[in-house]
Amino acid sequence: MTDKYLRLENVDKFYGPIDLGVHAVRNVSMDVAKGEIIALLGSSGCGKTSTLRMIAGFEATSRGKIHLAGREVQMLPPVKRHVAMAFEGYSLYPTVNVRDNIAFALKAARLPASEVDAKVGEVAEMLEISDILDRSPNSLSGGQQQRASLARALIRSADLFLLDEPMGQLEPQLRTLLRGRIKHFLKERGMTAILVTHDQTEANALADRIAVMEDGMLQQYASPAEIKDRPANLFTGTFVGEPPMNVFPVRVSVEGGKLHMALEGGKELVYAEDAFAPEVRDAIMTRRDIVIGVRPYTVRRDESGVEATVLTNQWLGDQSHIAASFAEATVVLVEHDRADVVVGDRIAIRLDPSDLHIFDPATGMAISHGRGLA
Amino acid sequence: MSIQLTDIVKSFKTDRVLDSLSLGVSRGETLVLFGPSGAGKTVLLRLIAGVIDPDEGRIVINGVDMEGVEPEERGIGMAFQNFALFPHMDAHANIASPLTARRRTRADIEDRVNEVAELLKIRHVLGHKPKELSNGQKQRTALGRALAAEPSILLLDDPLRNVDAKLRFEMRLELPRLLKAQEATVIYVTQDYKEAMALGDRIAVMGAHGIAQVGTPEDIYLTPADTTIARLFGDPAINLLDVVPEQGGGGPEIQLSGARMPLDTAYAGVVGRPCILGIRPETIRFTEAGAPGVIPVEIEAETPLNEKTVTLAATRAGREILISRPAGTPGPDRGTAHIAIDPSGALLFDQATGKRIHPGESA
Amino acid sequence: MEHTSTLERVLRAIAITLVILFFIFPIFWIVLMSFQTNETILRVPPSIVFEPTLQNYQALITGELDTAAGKLEFDFMSNLFNSFYLSTASVALGLILGIPAAYAFGRLKFRGSEDIAFTLLSFRFAPPLLVLLPLTIYFQKLGLADTYFGLIWVYQLIVLPLILWIVRGYFEDIPADIEYAYRIAGHGFWATFFKIALPLAMPGIAAAGLLAFIFAWNNFIFALVLASADKQPVTVGALAFVTASGIQYGQIAAGIVLSILPTLGLALYAQRYLVEGLSLGAVKG
Repeated sequence: MTDKYLRLENVDKFYGPIDLGVHAVRNVSMDVAKGEIIALLGSSGCGKTSTLRMIAGFEATSRGKIHLAGREVQMLPPVKRHVAMAFEGYSLYPTVNVRDNIAFALKAARLPASEVDAKVGEVAEMLEISDILDRSPNSLSGGQQQRASLARALIRSADLFLLDEPMGQLEPQLRTLLRGRIKHFLKERGMTAILVTHDQTEANALADRIAVMEDGMLQQYASPAEIKDRPANLFTGTFVGEPPMNVFPVRVSVEGGKLHMALEGGKELVYAEDAFAPEVRDAIMTRRDIVIGVRPYTVRRDESGVEATVLTNQWLGDQSHIAASFAEATVVLVEHDRADVVVGDRIAIRLDPSDLHIFDPATGMAISHGRGLA
Repeated sequence: MSIQLTDIVKSFKTDRVLDSLSLGVSRGETLVLFGPSGAGKTVLLRLIAGVIDPDEGRIVINGVDMEGVEPEERGIGMAFQNFALFPHMDAHANIASPLTARRRTRADIEDRVNEVAELLKIRHVLGHKPKELSNGQKQRTALGRALAAEPSILLLDDPLRNVDAKLRFEMRLELPRLLKAQEATVIYVTQDYKEAMALGDRIAVMGAHGIAQVGTPEDIYLTPADTTIARLFGDPAINLLDVVPEQGGGGPEIQLSGARMPLDTAYAGVVGRPCILGIRPETIRFTEAGAPGVIPVEIEAETPLNEKTVTLAATRAGREILISRPAGTPGPDRGTAHIAIDPSGALLFDQATGKRIHPGESA
Repeated sequence: MEHTSTLERVLRAIAITLVILFFIFPIFWIVLMSFQTNETILRVPPSIVFEPTLQNYQALITGELDTAAGKLEFDFMSNLFNSFYLSTASVALGLILGIPAAYAFGRLKFRGSEDIAFTLLSFRFAPPLLVLLPLTIYFQKLGLADTYFGLIWVYQLIVLPLILWIVRGYFEDIPADIEYAYRIAGHGFWATFFKIALPLAMPGIAAAGLLAFIFAWNNFIFALVLASADKQPVTVGALAFVTASGIQYGQIAAGIVLSILPTLGLALYAQRYLVEGLSLGAVKG
């Protein structure tokens, strides 16, 4: 049962009458293993928060089943589900100090004071709030309140930890470090956690698997590496990854044993016919019009490539982001060293067949990734 | 100088937000004001725009002292963080408002609004009221309004703050071209260090006590004035470790997790002085055990970050170190690993003051 | 969890009906009275079954009434006109004076602005009679007693604080950045006031104007003391029906109905503005 520790079966959420109201979550099914960290990722209104709230029990499940730790829980009130939740809006009790806020659940469970102190101390140190434990929540900055709220959720013993936008307000300099610490904390204790976020960076950093949602539907449910390398459709491909994936519509033809991809504005990408596996080539040729996607860090500068003109070259300390005009559009490249090009430079762009993601222009579904079919 | 601020003081009730601040911006330059919220960045922009007045000090724009000059007479374009569009006017009227104020002819206004809208790709929504626009379109309309009258001074108050990540990234790539085409002097406020480095000819870092450092993005990133500034630039943030350099065989060196890291000989003066060692996560490499200067660490977590892989590791003494490498390059993800630090990229700061120690400086 | 039971819904419906009955009943009863003669009104026990008559309304419009004690003459229609004239003029003057003042209090925050604004509001705390006694003497000395101008002036005590406090809340709610943006775009202070602040505060101004109109319309005591028969509004005019030979309930009721109608019409027409304006005023004031 551990690989199906939490299980959503054909879950629907309607706001208003079933089948008539707003269909916020559409037939979502997913399994979560014990000890896994899952991110529900999507833009606002995609249904991710509704899904989380159904798991927590704050929202009635309109249709479908939710199993947690071997029990069917969709009819249970929140208090009986044994889940801990950190809210987006901090929601600290304003009348008691930060320490008592964090210790609240432990004290309610009548743990000995020394144990409570030790646990609070540990989690406070992890989240860098040891120095503000005696302050009142109202005197804290947004980032501090959010860390206190996280601490209050993480300190509990629960079957499942639900974190709603847990780090949106965090100070930027702390974010990467705290993500590492929180991931370590969860993993070390074998805690199962689901976090909701609109920030793909956060989802990638923390999650073992990401559930990408849009329009109430689960678009893809896979590991960060899988989503990066094999996005299921154009939405996932362009939503996950910063800088976003470059996308160009092309028309394909075969001439003289070469595969030509005609870009807008008359330029062409030319590949040897065997650059793609036969079944990929067939899938491309039956459609003719396709959309190619290529991740910025796989775009190469190479004399033999297609010409492009540099629009900007932005050095960020550890990466260079270059934008160049290319085929009536803009192509973005990421280089990990400081790039020496300046605005107006002519560069040549090479897109390797192994780095191409190919999508159906009508449905947006992925046809192939690199050399393999999707 | 296109804008010259001298000894500006501004308080709100008892709170002194700006204390004797001086700053110059040259013609055609893009200066980024960077700093945490509450540092007075927005206040400074409002002082320059003339909607609030300084308690003390002089503001000179294009050679003219601005004391007593009303905001509408300053010829400035400004974009606000919350857009501040006129809710009862459509996008066209919003963009046209600086032109109507300048009593341009109707045909002139029409031409210019269309030109700006074309540049910002919002021609198709010119007839929409602000509440019918998406956040991205609002932001572009606000920018269009600021640019419409081709002002010689542009003040941009964190204009990308309230748009989503994807759009923010696109605009970050697009803005330098737009700004250079205007040939305007630009002051750009942001809290995002990437925006600051990408857009600024120079960056003025504001701290709790006014301007902490002014310099090119290179200056700020490679030679930050103190640990606070060093931490503000770079994601993941710079590693800061308390150390006391010792005299080694070949010069000054640092003991880290049982290994010895040699320092540049120019740091000979710091031996015995309590320092903070600053190491950028991207200057640390994973390597094989056994080589000289290699430090053993225990890996705690691996977190992918925008085409990079960030590893949180702990030294034997339990000190945390962040290491970043390009995504897709090999590296260990659990257990014990070994790292090598490039000493040439290491920075030293004074432990008491946090100020950077310059090579060649003596104790 | 978020579902409500049928029982709960029924109980809620009953409760709402009771509340509505409680508030509507007096008005309902008065409307009924206005269609009855004094005799049917005064019968014991009262009944809602009667022969409707338009005689009360007829009497009001013609200004003549035959009673047991003889022919009674009054001028209800001119009272109605006075009400209109006084309320409209007072609100117009109140808006002209109040809007710029509200802007100044809301936006400019000069020294002592809070104190002055509060003092203006406090006029509403004082019992009108307290103000009236000295005022009557002054008005007589100044020749303002029994003039429209004098009444309109006194009505500012009712109208001005109301307009000031509601509209001020609206001005404060306009983000300062929007006005700054208009200034920086090159428009002067007054252009910004007329083109940005005024249009954006319009719902509040409309609400304040309507409320002020209703308050002015319903005023009784100022006009009772300071106006003679030819200047008095309906609220005071209705007193004429309290005669030596008895109280003309039917006419009073018809008078009330006629005097409620304009304000009711206005209120229904601008209900949205009113509720919004009231709640905002409550939060902000």
